[in-house]
Amino acid sequence: MADNVEAIQKSIKWYFIIGFILIVFSGLTVGLSYVELPTHSLNIIVGMILATIKAALVALIFMHLSHERPLIYKVLAFTVVFVLALFLLFIFSHGDPLEFPGFYNPVE
Amino acid sequence: MSAAAIPHDHDHAHDTAHDHHEPSFLRKYIWSTDHKIIGIQYGLSGLIFLLFGFFLMLLMRWSIAYPGVPVPAVEAIRAIPGISWVFEEMFGRWLNADGSLNGELYNMLGAMHGTIMVFFGIVPLGFAAFGNFVMPLQIGTIDMAFPRLNMLSYWFFFISCVIMVYSFFVGTGPVQTGWTMYSPLASTANIGVTNVWQHGHTWWLTGMVFNISASLLGSVNFIATVINLRTKGMGFMKMPFFTWAMFVIGFLLLLAFPPLEVAAILQLSDRVFGSSFYLPTGLMEGGKHLDISGGGNPLLYQHLFWFLAHPEVYVLILPAFGILTEVIPCNTRRPLWGYKSMVYSVLTLGFLSFLVWAHHMYLTGMGTMMSTYFQITTVLISVPSVILLTCLMISLWGGSIRFNTQMLFACAFLPMFGIGGLTGLPLAFTFIDLALHDTYYVIGHFHYVVAPGTIFGLFAGIYHWFPKVTGRFMNDRLGKWHFWPSLLGMNLVFAPMLVQGMAGFHRRWYDGGKYFENTSGFSHWTTTLTHKIGAFFGFNIPDNMLSLNVVMSIGAFILALGQVPFIFNFWFSIKGGKKIESDNPWDATTLEWATPTPPPHGNFLFDPVAHRGPYEYSVPGHNTDFYPQWESEPGKPVPVPAEKVLAHH
Amino acid sequence: MDIPYTVHARPDTGLYNAKIGVWLFLASEVMLFGGLFSAYIFLRVGADYPWPVHDLDVTLGFINTVVLIASSVTVVMAWAMLKLRKFGWYRINMAITVLCAGVFMFNKTLEYKAKFAHYAVKLSDGTFLTGHLPHGYQVKFGDVTEFAITIPVKNSAVTADPVGYVLPYIEEGTAPKFKTEDGKEVTLDKATFAELRAAALKKAEAEKKSAGTFKLTVTAPLKFAAKPSEIFGYTDTSITFRDGTIATGKLIDDKMTLEVDGIDARGVAQPDNSLAFDHRYLPDWQKAFVANREHHLAEFEKNYPTRDKARSATLQKESLYFKLHSVTPPAEGAAHGEGAKHGAEAHSPTAHGAEHGEAHHPTVILEKKDITFFSNFTPKLNTYYAIYFTLTGLHGAHVVIGALVLAYFLCFDNKRLKQDPEHLANRVEVGGLFWHFVDLVWIFLFPLLYLL
Repeated sequence: MADNVEAIQKSIKWYFIIGFILIVFSGLTVGLSYVELPTHSLNIIVGMILATIKAALVALIFMHLSHERPLIYKVLAFTVVFVLALFLLFIFSHGDPLEFPGFYNPVE
Repeated sequence: MSAAAIPHDHDHAHDTAHDHHEPSFLRKYIWSTDHKIIGIQYGLSGLIFLLFGFFLMLLMRWSIAYPGVPVPAVEAIRAIPGISWVFEEMFGRWLNADGSLNGELYNMLGAMHGTIMVFFGIVPLGFAAFGNFVMPLQIGTIDMAFPRLNMLSYWFFFISCVIMVYSFFVGTGPVQTGWTMYSPLASTANIGVTNVWQHGHTWWLTGMVFNISASLLGSVNFIATVINLRTKGMGFMKMPFFTWAMFVIGFLLLLAFPPLEVAAILQLSDRVFGSSFYLPTGLMEGGKHLDISGGGNPLLYQHLFWFLAHPEVYVLILPAFGILTEVIPCNTRRPLWGYKSMVYSVLTLGFLSFLVWAHHMYLTGMGTMMSTYFQITTVLISVPSVILLTCLMISLWGGSIRFNTQMLFACAFLPMFGIGGLTGLPLAFTFIDLALHDTYYVIGHFHYVVAPGTIFGLFAGIYHWFPKVTGRFMNDRLGKWHFWPSLLGMNLVFAPMLVQGMAGFHRRWYDGGKYFENTSGFSHWTTTLTHKIGAFFGFNIPDNMLSLNVVMSIGAFILALGQVPFIFNFWFSIKGGKKIESDNPWDATTLEWATPTPPPHGNFLFDPVAHRGPYEYSVPGHNTDFYPQWESEPGKPVPVPAEKVLAHH
Repeated sequence: MDIPYTVHARPDTGLYNAKIGVWLFLASEVMLFGGLFSAYIFLRVGADYPWPVHDLDVTLGFINTVVLIASSVTVVMAWAMLKLRKFGWYRINMAITVLCAGVFMFNKTLEYKAKFAHYAVKLSDGTFLTGHLPHGYQVKFGDVTEFAITIPVKNSAVTADPVGYVLPYIEEGTAPKFKTEDGKEVTLDKATFAELRAAALKKAEAEKKSAGTFKLTVTAPLKFAAKPSEIFGYTDTSITFRDGTIATGKLIDDKMTLEVDGIDARGVAQPDNSLAFDHRYLPDWQKAFVANREHHLAEFEKNYPTRDKARSATLQKESLYFKLHSVTPPAEGAAHGEGAKHGAEAHSPTAHGAEHGEAHHPTVILEKKDITFFSNFTPKLNTYYAIYFTLTGLHGAHVVIGALVLAYFLCFDNKRLKQDPEHLANRVEVGGLFWHFVDLVWIFLFPLLYLL
């Protein structure tokens, strides 16, 4: 943790730079959302990649995760695994062969 | 937010005058921040709710065994002034005119029995009460990391209790849609009630939001305490297993409860704001299209619900394992067998429990890939469970066992939980689960795990730590009168369920299947036995599956009678039990027995140091058959600083 | 009797208590929002209607994004300044943070407010008309002379309760007089109804019927007005209330007056012949609609010649969700150029809400049989707005709570600032971590709800 005075003084500059980068990225996200990519899913993927980069910057620099204790990393690693389970397993159980057209619902 | 409640004002740090100030009664026992008082508060609330939930179950069992027959003693209860109004508002107004139960009341009882037992009985008692009282003592700290959050946690829980009980009194009564509250039924049941606050469901959801918040505060507190407040020498691998269990439960509650909170919020939104999170397009009720947009998905609710509710099962069972790991080594005078493997098992169990939830949902028609995945993880998770149980059983080997009450309960736990666990294995496979889903088999399996399983474990814990809390023993003879009828009653209630379930009895029949009375001549050796025993005593019990309903109701009645000695024993022993002669009456090794009895505010008279592992019983060459964690050298008591003794007295 | 490690870190874990606590709390918050986002994915993948894209006010959303990022910088600066013991700068940074929270919530309120006044009506062919209800919407009944009340003998959760479910919807006169079957004249209140109910039940039990029934005749005919959601159902001659009471009378009016500001024909098989262009409603606008659609298709083909038209959500929206900007359709000649372009601008509902009151939209009177569903832009409208309100509402609650905590440190913790700034720095760090988390959630919320 950046606890000593010098380290904090050094990082102050970075706080403003990161803040500026975040705003630029937000503008970029807005702009890209109006661009027609081959599929809309691609738009979503690009938008989410940008958002993830922004989130990573906030977490690493503002929340000091770039130099945190191992214990916090462990807790967060488990949390991330379970959140991914929430996202992926939900949707995998939704994308079910029974719901493919023609399998269960006769195609009209 | 946590920062706002950082426990101690630093300004008062060494203000000794403050320490000696005797707090008022209210401050000491009601708005207390002391982990022990909060533990006791949780414990008493939990016990009261266990009794209440049990009473609901008795009414249900009556309706199942004797559908259409008036409930006995209703008229007598209605005649008692004071009680009569409460009874009338809670149950009486839903009874049929002749005093028998109908389906509506049965559904209310069923839903509330599940909710109360799980969220208001066992979790508060097993995790919050025992955890709060024992865990900080075991790791040798003076209190929880955030005492004020701890108090807040209890009072959030208290509010949720009040709300849940109040839901019995509102216009349409408490919820009727099962403890799982599946949408769309739960989203639309009694939707015609214009004032949503006149409907029990709204109160149920509100109550759950408070209950969940209480659990979250509690779990943050538990984990932070274990991580940061362990005393000198108390490495993670020197912690008693009970503390490990609490640590893992803390994580389960912390990470699994939020999705349930989401589920509750979305369902509340469906009911109050008319949204369609869980309501599919074109939903009709009573021949009429509902005034909703549709587009939602009922499966979303089930996913969110079971994401909590499967880890919740381990929240229910782990306290019992934790208690047993204290009771069994202490009463066999042998070290716990396989401490390390148990620790790794419980961690694996905690991790895997997040990834198995959809085995409750095989019937919803998942794809083959997903159901295969969930079958594999479900079978995997039985491995650590079996390791835990096996370690406990092997711990009995070669011990000179003291069969006091807590040990009897502990010993009974092992086969009972074994039955519960093994009957669960078939349910892990889709092809069997599709047939057994929603039958009494599932009910029997689950109750074997939590009733003679967890609750026996909790009873063992009560008998074990009662002397530390009060300074007096509970009566051992009454304890045995409590144990044997409980064991008999539990088995009479839950074993026939497995039989009935395999015969296809559905769990939600309020008349216990009477509708099929004439269609089924189905008999089984258990029903034949019932018939013959009945004939021996001069009763005509028909030789079919329905007769098992009578057996179960008799079992429930025996179980009820069995609790009378316990209730008497519990309250009487507080003032009238045999006094303990030392602070360590069971000759145990863990740190909670190094405190004065009952432990004062601040707990220890000396600065405890953990010199060795928690289960050093019968160490060769040692002068006693136990070697406590706090003793620095063999047989040498820890010197207590004079000012601490003075402060204590 | 001091709990250890409240200010300084424990050597072996390297953390003080509150920091562990807040990270655990944040882990649980991650699961909370994780659950909500997974609900979002689930609903979006399973949606059976065009998922709204760019429907909200993007400008307002972007301003809020910048505001939150700025506050994130200032809150971490506040902590750094406190660590460097520059108390003045600490106060300034903290104050800016709290101010940002206020601006954020103000914008949010603007956004929400516009939604409540704006309605969408689903016609029977799937067309949505959006607009405002100048007079609200009520079903009106007249000449109501008789009530038929049924009380089941068996106890049931919903039972006849005309005092609570019928009387509130009487339009004129609050205490009407009723005649019972045996000719007694009564005013209906809780006590009299309980008497009537008991008598009917007694009779039913004597006759071994499953329900007691009785009729009440009104001395002077009554008028009723209720929202359709407040009653169970109605025909031309009777209303069924939600408690099962049936009133006999005459339907006066169940038409809906709507000031239309948009025609969304995305859910219709033949958008050009949508029910909205029926001769009773907006036939004059058909030409403008078609012109607008052609215009956008042509533009799309010009700009993205290789793209699949059917799979572009934006094109679907621009070509089939037609926004009306005046009472009369654009002139024929201008349809291809000026008028259509005007229609193409992504005019959000918010903007319409702000314009409400100028009333320069065509008014249609919709017949009940053509309306299948209607709602204002609230969670009821569809699952998108449901998840939008839930996500942003919970996020807003977090903003408010975080701001309150930070404001508390700023205003009421001065004693600690002077005596134990290290402890206050810890508190600010912990509060700041929560605040950054709030920002982090918004980083995902903004693109998911506003942009994509």
